[in-house]
Amino acid sequence: MTRTWNFLLAVLLFVISIHAQTPAQKVPGIPRMPDGKPNFTGLWQALGTAYWDIRDHSAMNGPFYQLGATGAMPAGQGIVEGGEIPYRPEAAAKQKENFKNRLTLDPEVKCFMPGVPRGAYMPFPFQIIQSQRDIAIAYEYATANRVINMGKPKEAAVDTWMGTSNGRWQGDTLVVDVTGLNGQSWFDRSGNFMSENVHIVENYSFADADHINYEATIEDNTIFTRPWKISLPLYRRKEKNAQLNEFKCVEFAEELIYGHLRKR
Amino acid sequence: MTRGLVISIFCLSLLVAASAAAQAPALRTPDGKPDLQGTWSFATVTPMERPANLAGKEFFTEQEAAAYEKDVVERNNKDRRDGSAESDVSRAYNDFWWDSGTKVVKTRRTSLVVDPKDGKIPPMLPAARERQQERQSLNRDHEFDGPENRPLPERCLVLQGAGPPVTPTAYNNNVQIVQGQGYVALLIEMGHEVRVIPTDGRPHLPSTVRLWKGDSRGRWEGDTLVVETTNFSNKNSFRGSSENMKLIERFRRLDADTLMYQFTVEDPETWARPWTVEIPVTKSQGRLFEYACHEGNYGMAGALAGARAEDKSAHQAQKGSQ
Repeated sequence: MTRTWNFLLAVLLFVISIHAQTPAQKVPGIPRMPDGKPNFTGLWQALGTAYWDIRDHSAMNGPFYQLGATGAMPAGQGIVEGGEIPYRPEAAAKQKENFKNRLTLDPEVKCFMPGVPRGAYMPFPFQIIQSQRDIAIAYEYATANRVINMGKPKEAAVDTWMGTSNGRWQGDTLVVDVTGLNGQSWFDRSGNFMSENVHIVENYSFADADHINYEATIEDNTIFTRPWKISLPLYRRKEKNAQLNEFKCVEFAEELIYGHLRKR
Repeated sequence: MTRGLVISIFCLSLLVAASAAAQAPALRTPDGKPDLQGTWSFATVTPMERPANLAGKEFFTEQEAAAYEKDVVERNNKDRRDGSAESDVSRAYNDFWWDSGTKVVKTRRTSLVVDPKDGKIPPMLPAARERQQERQSLNRDHEFDGPENRPLPERCLVLQGAGPPVTPTAYNNNVQIVQGQGYVALLIEMGHEVRVIPTDGRPHLPSTVRLWKGDSRGRWEGDTLVVETTNFSNKNSFRGSSENMKLIERFRRLDADTLMYQFTVEDPETWARPWTVEIPVTKSQGRLFEYACHEGNYGMAGALAGARAEDKSAHQAQKGSQ
């Protein structure tokens, strides 16, 4: 009896798996779930300098001379497709203000949650845990985390730092629709910003077993004149026993935030 | 006779197949592991330790449980305005904001502590008590000097109940479990904590790496997920524990709506013997909400600013009296 059930189940799974993927979309040699979907479970991290500035940028001095070379910003090629962020004029001015006041305004300096998409390319790893249903992402920085709902899409109940994520599969690509972002996150340390009207669509797809092509399309009529896109590779952390560590940064930001209220 | 037997066997196998179809797929992940996934509520009115008036009584009867629930819910009601000014202030958050549960645990135990039998956490060793008192005395009269002097929950570093171990608390009692290949993730609503637990048999981190939430390793023992956590930071403490505490948590799915959560605390520097807590937690239909504690921590700034204002007026009063 059980054997019959198992056989029928196997046939069913096989039919589903060949149905779900046309040969053209199928990337060979990547980890897959029992149902044939790509399996992104693992520890991932971006390289590069997008966390300083998502646009093309030259090397420049950092805000504290005491840190010398360790505090300086390295040059880097941007991750913005086409190179330009299509700011509305008043938003472009605000970005410059943000940059000038980044030591007090950048949410990262204060150990605030990174939001989407910034969490994906900070100089910290993040862990994907993919189940047969939902997908969890845990970011090392600030213990930020989010769950991508793969079931019936859920509307954002309230605006949050990490937003409300609804995922779906397009062939081998995981497409995540992110709404309900509170608009207080920045894109980088250079003051590139968004508003609470932002809508982000992320694409995760394997380039090969150890690389994810990550893309995010950003739409926010109040700040930008048109939707725009970032794209970068994510690298699987390959060190032996590499694991997500803990960076509870509140204690490192307390002097900055509350120092003026300290007893003298 | 033979025909009857055949029919019976046929009916029996139908039953077996039907019950297997009804339960097994829902309670197993595709790789055959027990499916612990979903959002679980730890809210309960059952106390951690057995109250003195229930000494010797391990379980409530149904009526006793109902009476106990009614009593606790009434006592906890923050909308009451029948006390002193101080108790009014302590009820400043309306009842709406609290979610400390209205029911005792399903087992109707009178305490969450199940070992020792008396339902009490063993007494702390004298050296551990001294350690705790020393820590407290360092902060005495300096409670509002700076952010580091405030308790960890006020600093949004480690929130009550977030653990490890997870314990019932006044709100944000939900934990979502997501299982992936080689990992179990616990997403803890309290303080947006998250624990990524490897189940692939790798060793613990070197003992020089200490974490606020310790370093967890999981393994399957039959249908139970057993998680061992070590490498705790000495900046954190669970009910007086030392940084060398070894915590063993057990997660076992009882049925569609119940997950049995047990933990055993082993810390010979603090307690002469290990002790164990058992909490049957229930499936929650709601979703987890993001608790951006630090991002909205106006309380810290307010408390410190208030203390500085007091310093100033005390200083002025002193000057005036001279």
